[in-house]
Amino acid sequence: MKRPSVTSSAIPLITAMIAVAAVLLPIFLADTPWPVGARDYLQENGFGDSGAINLVSAIYLGYRAFDTLGETIVLLVAVGGTIGILTRSGAILAEGYTNPDTVAGIDSSEEEIPSFSLAREKRKSHALRTHLLEVVTAILGPIVLLFGFYVMLYGHLSPGGGFQGGVVVASGIVFLGLGNRMESSTKLTQAAVLGRIEAAAFLLLILASISGILLGKGFFGNPLSRFTAVPEGFIIMLNAIIGLKVGAGIGFMCIAILGRER
Amino acid sequence: MIIILLLLILILAVYALSTSDLLQGIIALSAVSLLSALLFYLLNAPDVAITEAAVGAGVSTVVFVGVIRYTDRKDHSK
Repeated sequence: MKRPSVTSSAIPLITAMIAVAAVLLPIFLADTPWPVGARDYLQENGFGDSGAINLVSAIYLGYRAFDTLGETIVLLVAVGGTIGILTRSGAILAEGYTNPDTVAGIDSSEEEIPSFSLAREKRKSHALRTHLLEVVTAILGPIVLLFGFYVMLYGHLSPGGGFQGGVVVASGIVFLGLGNRMESSTKLTQAAVLGRIEAAAFLLLILASISGILLGKGFFGNPLSRFTAVPEGFIIMLNAIIGLKVGAGIGFMCIAILGRER
Repeated sequence: MIIILLLLILILAVYALSTSDLLQGIIALSAVSLLSALLFYLLNAPDVAITEAAVGAGVSTVVFVGVIRYTDRKDHSK
């Protein structure tokens, strides 16, 4: 328990920083010109191929949509693993981490950790919750949710996109769950609803990805490019689906960790 | 401006590593993410800035604070 002296903790820190600098220095010193072929091609053809003014969206949903599918699967596995660990360790967590030095206010002898959305007097542990938090999050929650949907649906025009909007939506869901001072409840903070949204969004994503095959455009090909010159509808749809999936998944994970709703 | 932001990020990151109060470390990490988001925005990468702000400063902080609620606030290994 004794604190080490300043020098003994500073030496490995400085060594690590020098090592990182030695690795990164050649990158800054190199005068190799950056390749411009892909950049020029994207600036010329990106809008016409995918219909997205925001070229980042054009890349990751138009040219590289397969990578996006992989990312959503990674996220699915991460959320599933977290929920699995939480479920298996539920008994240990409910018992509480018995340490005499625990933060004041967390009563580890309670047998049931309260649900995420209990009223203040019904909660057994509110060490990390204050009135300020509840008031602010209750008011801010719907606004954050709206902004998340804006970022999600306008990803092809402005910075943002499905993943970014989805994470903002997840923050909004967490805000809604934290700030229910008026005993108001919303379906969006229930684990079952979020799980169903995520599963349905993943199914829709798979269906959208194989819809290109049926029209002869290949896996994740844009089926609308057969009919219109500026096929931005496909990217809007993919953004909405991915945003719903990411928002529901991450919101589900946060609510499971924060509230352990059972 | 960018140099100042990078120095602040460095200081906060070292503080987050060296502090024994995990809650303060988490807040320092959150501030690192916020400053990184500002840095990305200044460097003309608004997409990355939105992601960094939402994931780093928002969701991961919520997850870390939630985990601290079930464990212990102090780092006893020091």
